[in-house]
Amino acid sequence: MEAIREAVDHIYNRPVREWKENGGKVVATLCTFVPSEIFMAAGIHPLRFRGVEAADLDIADAYYGPFICSCPKALLQMICEGKYAFLDGAIITPGCDSMRRLDDCWQKAGEDYQGIVPPFFFHFGVPHKAVSYSIDWFTDEIRRLINALEAHFGVPITDEKLQAAIRVYNHGRNLLQRIQDFRTDEDVKISGTDAFAIAIAGTALPREALNRTLESLIGELKQKEGSLAEGRKRIMVIGSVCDDTSLIELIENAGAVVVADNLCFGARPIGGMVSDTGDPVRALAEWYLEESVCPRMFGNFERRLAILKDRIRQCRVDGVIMQNIRFCDMHGSENGLFARSLAEINVPCLQVELEYGPLVDGGRVKMRVDAFLERIS
Amino acid sequence: MRPEIKEYNFDSLLWHVLDIGHKVLDSTEKEIFWIGDYVPYYDRVIDVWAREGKVGRMFLEMVWKYMDNIKTAHDRGKKLAITTFCFSPAIFYAMDVVPVSLEPLTVISTLVWDRGTVDYLDFCCEVGFTETACSAQRGALGAYLAGLGEEIDFVVCDTPGVCDTNALAYAFAAAYLKKPFFQLNAPPTLVDERSSTYHREDFKALVAFMEGQTGKKLDVDRLRHILLEHEKQDELIGELEEMQRLIPNPVPSIYNLIIYSGRYFFSGRPEYTRILEEMVKSAKINADAGVSGLRSGKEKIRALFCYIDHFVVDFKFWDWLDQHGISQCGSLLKGFFLPQSPYIKEGFREAGYSIRTDSEEAMLDSIAQINARMPMINSIRGPYYKPYMWLDATLQVARVMQSDCIIYSGTPGCRNTWGMVRPYMKDIEKHGYPAHIMNADAFDFRVESWEVTTERLEEFLKVRGLM
Repeated sequence: MEAIREAVDHIYNRPVREWKENGGKVVATLCTFVPSEIFMAAGIHPLRFRGVEAADLDIADAYYGPFICSCPKALLQMICEGKYAFLDGAIITPGCDSMRRLDDCWQKAGEDYQGIVPPFFFHFGVPHKAVSYSIDWFTDEIRRLINALEAHFGVPITDEKLQAAIRVYNHGRNLLQRIQDFRTDEDVKISGTDAFAIAIAGTALPREALNRTLESLIGELKQKEGSLAEGRKRIMVIGSVCDDTSLIELIENAGAVVVADNLCFGARPIGGMVSDTGDPVRALAEWYLEESVCPRMFGNFERRLAILKDRIRQCRVDGVIMQNIRFCDMHGSENGLFARSLAEINVPCLQVELEYGPLVDGGRVKMRVDAFLERIS
Repeated sequence: MRPEIKEYNFDSLLWHVLDIGHKVLDSTEKEIFWIGDYVPYYDRVIDVWAREGKVGRMFLEMVWKYMDNIKTAHDRGKKLAITTFCFSPAIFYAMDVVPVSLEPLTVISTLVWDRGTVDYLDFCCEVGFTETACSAQRGALGAYLAGLGEEIDFVVCDTPGVCDTNALAYAFAAAYLKKPFFQLNAPPTLVDERSSTYHREDFKALVAFMEGQTGKKLDVDRLRHILLEHEKQDELIGELEEMQRLIPNPVPSIYNLIIYSGRYFFSGRPEYTRILEEMVKSAKINADAGVSGLRSGKEKIRALFCYIDHFVVDFKFWDWLDQHGISQCGSLLKGFFLPQSPYIKEGFREAGYSIRTDSEEAMLDSIAQINARMPMINSIRGPYYKPYMWLDATLQVARVMQSDCIIYSGTPGCRNTWGMVRPYMKDIEKHGYPAHIMNADAFDFRVESWEVTTERLEEFLKVRGLM
């Protein structure tokens, strides 16, 4: 778990550093809609942007307005502080309006802070629905990205390389799913904090190295006796973008075990496999668009509710903690709808609004979590 | 929500207020003066529109007609669809569907009711919609979520990819009210072949969706008729915009509100054409006399509002502009998209559109192109390969309109603009325009009081030597 922990706490962690020192390229992406397989096929390490090392937001506040979520602000802060100076490229996606505006603010900040805009800077469009013509469009968009990467980095991205990368990532998805199973089973073998950390590491570490680490971890977990859930409430955490293990740790230290999540740095993008036969670009387009249960895919509430209810049942969840970053209306409002629907089937819920980052308002959140656990005990 | 508010249907209440409003304006000046005493919370509204004469009466009647369409839709066998202002309603009219556009209804309610829409705004939050979301939708949405309006049949929006909080309001409404939902997407580019193909497919799917909901086929002849009327309206708007370039600007500032609200309510319908014709006639009289459209007839400052106007109670905003001799050179809520307009000719050729009616496909393409030029899409969001489109569009309009200053008025719920308004306004200053950011909420007077808003505006104008 040491390598995992380091990857969770530090963007420029040892494996990434070594990758760069060996002449490797690193490109960062904003959200889960960008197929990592493309980068692997190009010999580039894809890294998901995280604002985990932002200790302040003073620089970001000079560009973003006050009514903007602290997640993209934390990213911009780290970018301006030079903490992403090692990047060879960045992909901007319209995950939400605030994230999309990172593009404008980043480029503007680039006029004030020299060298913060990487040489490869790409806008990657993502439709908000998965229907035949949007998948066609998205397939073309992936091809556009592939062409741009080939031209900029001078590497051919062939179908064979893509298919090989799909297989490696599918294997990784399978391993990550098995880790999740140790967390969701009746006998819980891994804490929610560790399982979440592993999922986050999946967005930070080179995939082949990660797969090897996961294989060894799975071996260790199989040997483990007893259950971490003994005498504890089984909690599910859902909501806004969150890569903060201290939130999960806080909940578990309060006497619960987090057996499931639906977070985009957590278990949400893990399930399912990309088809490794046929046109790999089309297969990626279908998987990345159709599998997404992010609320930015508008109009899919019923599907997301059904998935949530299934997870609650499968993981024997006693209560759901719904968090949203202030100004994250998509998750905040969806949490409101979920709370209403879950109340109808007597699933207790706690809605918490917080700031992005390592629990800047930990005391307040702890008090609310304690009260919630007391309520459902 | 306060129990007394629950006693009245939102749309019926608004219908009555507007019904009285436009009928009162048929009275003599003396009668209007005395009626004011009996409607103490409404006399300022009447006063504002009485001053605009025939245009004022026609405006209130046009909005009343919109409410009447909503109120009587089901009796007339028509379906009601909740939709967004950022969507030309032409396709709804062609499908014989009555649109309920939330943002313009929020605006009208905010303007004519002393309490604004605070009860409805807050009701959204009571049922789980975030308080940080845009107030433009919440104002009217709250009423429909509370069941205080005509029953909605389905929900259509086109803002995913344009404005999340806008799209979210519609997705939320559909989920909460358990109504069918259709979303059109806006690809990151505006005019290339990929986007056009996407839009075309998307519109075909929308037509199929509405045909399924209404049981009626798209009437191609009606669509053609609506688009031709739309074209006529565009030309009239173009004429008004041309007159707005004159110094002094002969077009009354409040005409801006009529131009864009008419566009959102009645694009392609004769109700809107008639009022535009009257506005052109009335502005021409001022232009011929060489006087400003302001009440004093004297223009001191030409201000461009680079986003939206400020809609808090009683039309105070336009009154304030009038009193200070400020001629409003428009906001990004309105047109500028005729191919022959200087905005297009001398700047953004690709931002213009033309209407084609030779085939069903050409007409759907035209509607898609119109939609892609709606205010939040063309300028505020802009195409992704032009990150400074909002700035470029603003500077072009400011140049064309010879503006003296540029003012941002918006709502804290707007992630798209607040996401970059600071660097944007700094750049505007660099281009030589005094720039001011209003912190108020255009739809919710509780966020910043009108008194504070005007104090800050006046301070800005004084400090920058404009007043």
